[in-house]
Amino acid sequence: MTIGPRGGPLQGVRVVEFSKVWAGPFAGKLLAFLGAEVIKVESRGALDVSRIYGVGDVDKAPGFRAVNPQKLGVQIDVKTKEGVALVLDLLGKSDVLIENLRPGAMKRLGLDYETVRAVKPDIIYVSMSMYGEEGPLSDQTGYAPCFAAFSGVSRLVGPEAGKPAGMSVRYGDSTYGTTTAFAAVVALMHRRQTGIGQYIDVSAAECLTSMVGDTIMDFTLNGRVQGANGNRHPEMAPHGVYPCRDGEWLSLAVSSDRAWRALALAMDRPDLAEHPQFRNLANRKAREDELDQLIAAWTTSRDAGDLAALLQAHGIAAAKSLSSVDLVADPQLWARGLFPEVPDRDSGTRPIVGPSWRMSRGAAITAGAPKLGEHTDYVLGEILGLSPEAQQKLADGGITR
Amino acid sequence: MTAPFGDAAASPSKLGVPPVPALSQCRIVELAETPSGEYCGKLLSDFGAEVIKIEIPGSGSPTRSLGPLASSGGHPERSGLFAYLNTNKKSVALDLSTASGTATLSLLLDQADAVIDDHPPGWLKGVGLDPGTLEAGRPGLVLCSITDFGQEPLDDRRHAEDLTVFHGSGWGYHTPGGGDDTQPPLNGPGRFLPSYEAGLEAALCVAAALYDRASSQTGRFIDISKQAVLASRLDYVLGQLVAGDMDVSPRRGVFDLRGPAGIFACRDGYVYVWLSEPVHWQALGRLLGGPDWMRPFPDRWLERECTAERVAECRRGIAAWLKDQARDKVVEDAQRLGLTLAPLNAPDDLLMSPQYLFRAYFAEVTHPVLGTAMYPTVPYRMSASPARIDAPAPLLGQHTEAGFAALSGNNREDRP
Repeated sequence: MTIGPRGGPLQGVRVVEFSKVWAGPFAGKLLAFLGAEVIKVESRGALDVSRIYGVGDVDKAPGFRAVNPQKLGVQIDVKTKEGVALVLDLLGKSDVLIENLRPGAMKRLGLDYETVRAVKPDIIYVSMSMYGEEGPLSDQTGYAPCFAAFSGVSRLVGPEAGKPAGMSVRYGDSTYGTTTAFAAVVALMHRRQTGIGQYIDVSAAECLTSMVGDTIMDFTLNGRVQGANGNRHPEMAPHGVYPCRDGEWLSLAVSSDRAWRALALAMDRPDLAEHPQFRNLANRKAREDELDQLIAAWTTSRDAGDLAALLQAHGIAAAKSLSSVDLVADPQLWARGLFPEVPDRDSGTRPIVGPSWRMSRGAAITAGAPKLGEHTDYVLGEILGLSPEAQQKLADGGITR
Repeated sequence: MTAPFGDAAASPSKLGVPPVPALSQCRIVELAETPSGEYCGKLLSDFGAEVIKIEIPGSGSPTRSLGPLASSGGHPERSGLFAYLNTNKKSVALDLSTASGTATLSLLLDQADAVIDDHPPGWLKGVGLDPGTLEAGRPGLVLCSITDFGQEPLDDRRHAEDLTVFHGSGWGYHTPGGGDDTQPPLNGPGRFLPSYEAGLEAALCVAAALYDRASSQTGRFIDISKQAVLASRLDYVLGQLVAGDMDVSPRRGVFDLRGPAGIFACRDGYVYVWLSEPVHWQALGRLLGGPDWMRPFPDRWLERECTAERVAECRRGIAAWLKDQARDKVVEDAQRLGLTLAPLNAPDDLLMSPQYLFRAYFAEVTHPVLGTAMYPTVPYRMSASPARIDAPAPLLGQHTEAGFAALSGNNREDRP
């Protein structure tokens, strides 16, 4: 069996992934979407645990399938000496290793950076952890809401007064995975120029602090500790999310005095357009509660989608707040091709979340997530060049499947 | 002026070779003037790419007037936002609304490897960079555009700010987690989350395209949509929703997980408590000293018998205990006992975090107007090509003369 070339800027790059759940697999997925050949190493005794969330069949776990398209799966038991030797052979023919196992786990397996570098001197070895591989908190583990909390993100989400509410529990892993993929590609650039590989140590917490970096600057320059501000914005008013018919919500941001006048006209309130109390940002900020009540009274019995279209026609930034029902049907996302169909062994084809980007000569998106060990033959035969007899011996010994 | 990110203690050189900036061979022209494109440029300039920022003479990038502004004085160069987003870049003042401006731009582009833009769809064509004819006109150029909804927005997506993109991506409706359906869904943290996410995605794509270009000599047009970036960040759930593996619903809590995990108040701050497995429950028991209310709970209730009543009672018990505790002490004890619990940090906490200090996440930067301050750096420690801040954000037009001088008779080998 051969895996056809898919094109894309990273075609020819081989990535080996020891990863679980979301962040590590997300990093590998992005590299695969850019054209890299990404091989996920697993075994029955060391599964990506998202293969067993909510289902009995490890090949049909919905969460796993959502985050691992376009990858190859190889089953090698890395808890055996022969398995580790086989993985090192594979790494000898690879460019990048990504791991997000528990701190110290790769070393216990005998797959730490020094060992891997001995067989592949220019390997780009990427370790992902909650706080970094070294330092006083390096032994701590946790999930996305924990590093979102630590990073400074969570306390910036919430109503203006009272307890911080935090982002959705789903926020963080994919941002962390993207950051990791970026660092890996930069290291590939560096290797192309210098011929040397390197070790990369990514901190999940720092990834999310970077998403609110300007609030750090406010503190280091001005000593100001920003807090949550509901839906408000220091440089725009109105700037909020307003109730509509049937429990729907409309988001709306007015970024200029001209946009404010356009909004007043869209609301059929020409009196507000030139009203001195709302004429400029400072006026509107001073009366923001009143402004929000005015707008909410106008939106509350109307359809959110209709309002978004009306306001857009007046040149105003507005969007319906999309529920999951709206999101999977969003015409913009479908028109962009965010949900390509890939072959599915049961239903013929299956939509996946494809790359967010569009690019000339991008990689073809051709495959869903691998079954456990789906590409073991390819990896052993085509990449490692093992004879059928040698492959059979490994399988008989329980090293591969 | 500044140390490379990651000092010897934080990032021991595992290679024993002096660092070489990863992108020092790359010259990038930045036409962007909002946080998304400027953040993309910064991610690349901090790796040593030469990023030439084109700014409108007189006023410069609009981010120069956005906060946080240093409190003192009315100086035009006092934006902390601009200072943060534009480290290591060069500023060339050039009026692209004139023919001579676009002609000069064209000369700069002759020597550029990549361009970063974040103006609305159509704008690039007006400065002589039509994405549709890029392949014929400048086949070697990597051109990256960041927009709210991509190059082909529908009629009802032509105007956007980060708040409306956040809500148009599926994140907003489900923020905050565990929210009250009668209260408005909320914006994400800070002002620019969608912009930073898109800037990061753009930097990834530009770096990959530059990698390919180094061997193929061919460029690419890259179309980044903030909405698509944010939606794709939800792949773990969105992939299940779109494949029919998870039910769609107008419920606000669709993305939430069951269970008692969440944010709780301490005497002097907040913590996030994660509880999903028996081991967490046991650790909680040790932290709280085995209170009576925990006794009737089955050992494996978090996994198998996670009823709404138990969740409510568990939350009440944790809240009642935590409200009198000192945050940092609880964090320390929890970490020791194996309970996954993290503080809700503010910037002042992070500046003093022993972990962030160990990794040198903050670096001191001296800016001619803003003075010396700590800046956030990058979340990756790289042994051979660390990111670093060698120069503060440029003053408006600081490199105009040098930039123009370099255009006459310059070849690429002349670069500093």
